[in-house]
Amino acid sequence: MTATLEPVRPRKPVTKPSTGRNKATARAPWMLLAPFLALFILTFVLPIIVAIGSSFTKVTRSGLFGESGISSGFAGFSNYVQALEDGNFTASIGRMLLFGAVQVPVMIVLCTALALMLESASAKWPSFFRAAYFLPYGVPGVIATILWSFLYIPGLSPLFDAAALVGVTPDFLGPSTVLWSIANIVLWSYTGYNMLIIVAQLKAIPAELYEAARVDGASTWRVARSIQLPLIRPALLLTTIFSIIGTLQLFAEAQVLMTVSPAIDSQYTPNLSAYTTAFAYNDYNVAAAQAVLIAVVAFALSFTFLKLTNRKSP
Amino acid sequence: MAVLTRRQVLGTGLGALAGGMLAGCATPGTVSVNTAPTIAPAGGEKITLTYWAWLKDLQKVLDVWNAANPNVQVEAAWIPGGNSGGYQKLYSALAAGAGPDIGQIELRSLPEFMLVNGVVDLSRYGANDYASRYDPTLWQQVSYMDGVYGIPQDSGPMAMFYQPEVFQTVGATGAPATWPQWAELAAELRRLDVYIDCFPLADASVFAALAGQAGARWFRAEEDGWVINMTDDATLMVADFYDQAIDKDLVQIGYGAYTPAWFAAASQGSIASVVTASWGDALVEGVSGGAGKWRGAPMPVWEGSGFGSSYLGGSTAAVMSSSKHPREALEFAVWMTTSQEGIDAMISNSGIGWSPARDFIGTSRQGGSEFFSGQAYNREIFVPAAKDQNPDWSWWPTTQQSFNILSDGFRRKASGTTLVESIGEAERQIMTVFENKGLTIRKEQA
Repeated sequence: MTATLEPVRPRKPVTKPSTGRNKATARAPWMLLAPFLALFILTFVLPIIVAIGSSFTKVTRSGLFGESGISSGFAGFSNYVQALEDGNFTASIGRMLLFGAVQVPVMIVLCTALALMLESASAKWPSFFRAAYFLPYGVPGVIATILWSFLYIPGLSPLFDAAALVGVTPDFLGPSTVLWSIANIVLWSYTGYNMLIIVAQLKAIPAELYEAARVDGASTWRVARSIQLPLIRPALLLTTIFSIIGTLQLFAEAQVLMTVSPAIDSQYTPNLSAYTTAFAYNDYNVAAAQAVLIAVVAFALSFTFLKLTNRKSP
Repeated sequence: MAVLTRRQVLGTGLGALAGGMLAGCATPGTVSVNTAPTIAPAGGEKITLTYWAWLKDLQKVLDVWNAANPNVQVEAAWIPGGNSGGYQKLYSALAAGAGPDIGQIELRSLPEFMLVNGVVDLSRYGANDYASRYDPTLWQQVSYMDGVYGIPQDSGPMAMFYQPEVFQTVGATGAPATWPQWAELAAELRRLDVYIDCFPLADASVFAALAGQAGARWFRAEEDGWVINMTDDATLMVADFYDQAIDKDLVQIGYGAYTPAWFAAASQGSIASVVTASWGDALVEGVSGGAGKWRGAPMPVWEGSGFGSSYLGGSTAAVMSSSKHPREALEFAVWMTTSQEGIDAMISNSGIGWSPARDFIGTSRQGGSEFFSGQAYNREIFVPAAKDQNPDWSWWPTTQQSFNILSDGFRRKASGTTLVESIGEAERQIMTVFENKGLTIRKEQA
């Protein structure tokens, strides 16, 4: 399989004759970069190449368990076809698109609002609230999901007692609701983190701009709209891209909630699907194809988003 | 002439390293250990075996063996249970060539490990000499194609645990003997807003156990390939029975047994009983305030067909293909699962399921239990149950994926697809899975 990939070729020697001092100068950055490059190639570039190679490989077996022979060979795009024909895998991508379309805007609006409020002149104890909003990010995703799952389970959660007072029986873990229960956990975990990125950008706005606005008699609302929002645009773009990629990589929340919600299947999110295919079904080749597809979708979405937002800018 | 610069040497070295690594990255599990020559016993020198399992306090069991066998020391390493992470760890260790000597593998997952050449055929090391010490049904489930691929470690004959007080609220004096009686009782209980049991849409292994009780035999290994038959009369009868039960709201489908929601409901008396395996006793004992309120009873049966019980869960101690000492590993596994001291140590330390030994269920399981009001349910209920199981059931190399496919279909019950329909659809999908793995499979001809 991967043997068809050519080994990395040595760099061509420099053709121009050059002095030893020049050579040393040219060599220095590479030597300094070498520790990084070695690890980068070993833990990042090589695995990606192996995964792509693996996604084009197919294993065929003969006999009941492959006991009469196993061979592997080039598969063309058959693993990709198999991944895309798997209704559960494509459904998981669709599910994450829906999830992202709702959760990302809600989170960006919420974290921007929180950041603007904390950075406004009339904020009380801004550093306390900043820390408080950021705190959930310090709780690992698995623990956060376990905490929330106890609030979602009927018979254990006080939320159900509260809902019973107004005559409602919520179902947080049903087929149509559990996605939004996950969205809630993600929102709880990451809003504070994104808020902090925006706060950092807000702090970088020069004080003169605020002074000038005050002299011109601008209201707080006007300052937010005309000064702060345009100037935190890069931070907003960054947090949105991170959130889009994060959405497609959702894993731990669904994996943990699976034990309490029958509605979550083993291919609920794209990453969960690749994980199940690789390590529960032992189909590393199809799993590699799924992983490549997830990366392509994440790349396409981020790229489209950047294109769209760049076009809008003056 | 070509004087190599330092960079060229470095570059070539890196290139060769990368090329070598890529060439070494063949898809894991494509080399068979069972065609290689057998490995001779260590012969007197001291060896150490590693055993990866999710049994708690396993090391205390191993210490009993280690004290008596100074030359064959066994060390336990804990892994998460089955598909919650343990298998993933075993698979990746096997792929990297660094697996343990022995691994805990569920009976149903053994063929999946065979498919990746992960387990040793122990018949080549004399395992069949020990066959008579084991429950024949279990031995059948570790034997494939004249080979023995694991040593049964525990199992789960099925029965029912119920709350007599809750049953009495609708005038039932004992547990229902047949499934139709069970459904009648369930309907009575629903009037008091009590569910008799859950039906786990998300875990098809329970359905497989129920179908197995009714006499189903989903897979058969033939010389020319696998034969699948998931749409036999027994399976469809059970599916139709549960279709009706769900349609009439007789069973809880919002959660499965032993989930936090189940424990809450069981302790409030809104779940009246559970059809489960023998290892369910320890879990039922976790119901808060449940002491003295539960009893065991045989599993309800189908009149005129099927078996008295079935099996749910159960695992093996399988010798992994990475082992350097398969013979010693086999001897240890046989000691652990058939000797009186081994079984008793496994029960008291690790709380294993049903003992796979033919003649010994464990000292502590002879008498009654305080939680179950002194009822000696192990001897009264589970000993006969273990002798009345479907002997023809065989697991297959894509069990987990097949169960996931089945569960995916079952989940659509909420949107109107019947279990009966989804089983037919699942059978087609499972055949595709076999074909994608390059395995031969055909539908049973009626």
